Amino acid sequence: MTVRLVKRVGRPVLGWVVFAAAVGIWEVLARSEGSFLVPAASAVAERAWHVWPTSEFLSNVEASLRRLAAGYAIGASVGVAVGVSMGSSRRVRQALEPLVELLRATPAIALVPALIVILGFGDRMRIAVIAFGVVFPVLVNSMDGVRAASPELHETASLLRMGRAERILRVDLPAALPSIFAGLRVAVSIGLVMVVVSEFVGGGDGLGHYILVERSQFNIPEMYAGILFLGLLGFVLNGVFVLVERRALSWHHGATGHGEH
Amino acid sequence: MKRPNVVGWVVVFVVVASAEALVRLFRLGDSVPAPTATTRALVTELRTGTLAGEIGATVGTYAQGLAIAVVVGVVVGVLIGSFRALLDASSVLIEFLRPIPAVSLIPLAVLFFGFGAPMRRWIVAYAALWPILLNALYGARGVDRVLHDVARTSGVGAVGRLVRVTLPASLPSIATGVRISASIGLLVAVTAEWVSGTDGVGAYMQRQENAFQLPELYAAVVLVGFFGYVVNRALRAGERRLVFWAGEERLR
Repeated sequence: MTVRLVKRVGRPVLGWVVFAAAVGIWEVLARSEGSFLVPAASAVAERAWHVWPTSEFLSNVEASLRRLAAGYAIGASVGVAVGVSMGSSRRVRQALEPLVELLRATPAIALVPALIVILGFGDRMRIAVIAFGVVFPVLVNSMDGVRAASPELHETASLLRMGRAERILRVDLPAALPSIFAGLRVAVSIGLVMVVVSEFVGGGDGLGHYILVERSQFNIPEMYAGILFLGLLGFVLNGVFVLVERRALSWHHGATGHGEH
Repeated sequence: MKRPNVVGWVVVFVVVASAEALVRLFRLGDSVPAPTATTRALVTELRTGTLAGEIGATVGTYAQGLAIAVVVGVVVGVLIGSFRALLDASSVLIEFLRPIPAVSLIPLAVLFFGFGAPMRRWIVAYAALWPILLNALYGARGVDRVLHDVARTSGVGAVGRLVRVTLPASLPSIATGVRISASIGLLVAVTAEWVSGTDGVGAYMQRQENAFQLPELYAAVVLVGFFGYVVNRALRAGERRLVFWAGEERLR
């Protein structure tokens, strides 16, 4: 009994102990080095505590989140729509596969200069970059999810005399949901990367811009505070997503008897 | 052997041809160069060696960073995945570091390593590390216990089991991680070059954009895209050979 209790409590505690030790080592090393490049952990925490609630910082956060939301919405919708149609029709898949493969291999930053020329330096360019980064993981996962759906489901659908559209909507899409969600979740962290990439260019605002500016002004603890906030943001967004996913897929785990994919 | 997908490549050709037609018809040359102009620029810049040198620099730092990530990621991932205590100990630290977007560390890396190739090598290594490490970890955790028991009763020691049971069994998962890391690493490499502006394709693109040399700019974009495509193809082909037993379905 006690052994089990120790084990259950001990596991997460050990992780936190190691984490605290790592932060402690950082603190000690930073203090003994005295290099301005590595501020002590406490100095970064103190800066973060003061900087994060300022209206200037929050407006940067808001700008980044707004872009992420818009780019993610566009990229995810396009990804699911194209991915599901590629998955459910062999002809569509054949027609689009090389094009998708070529585009997918292009790093989004390579498109930034081209998009700047077409869309200017504003939000539209940034949202396009984010959408481009988001679309491919969603597309590929949607396609694979539909393709992996069992043939029996399709036979049942044709026995029930479902039309093509109805089959896609009521059979293919639900069957592919776990895989689609996996793609959507990966896309959240890729979207965050794209936010930063798109904000590195052309000034303006946002968290990526903030980090770059603080570095160029040698406000090193502020720069660390910005990076930390991005990590926190990624962590929280991922956590929220896992919750949504669990809700949305609870029927699926029940229906198939499988756990998480 | 798969037959080449003729329809798909015809579609690619049609898209490029319509881009050419649109640019010429509506005189969009000021904001989008025609594909023919881009191709001409690509050939010229490759022949004069300008672009060839830049892509060479990119490939060099990218390959070094990726190699570091593969070695560290596989070793650390397999170890953590094999020993429950290590997993418990490192879980919080991993969960803390993993969500930090690697590109946001570029300004930090610039402070430590300056604007040159070492900065880019380390930032690529950091970005590419996580998918490989996590996939190695999951792969090692998913190893069939029976395999271990058989190995142990056959007198294979702990280290031997790690190398001869856990590692091969996690290879399919590791290969997937390497493939993901390869595309993230390329993105980070080019972004870091763009930010630092010293050498590499990213820096080249930044210069062409400032000088408004659109065909040269697009030529670099096409070149990077093509390189990414080749890397992805090569990795998939390598994967098929290396983990031939894992089945074709995982490979997309």
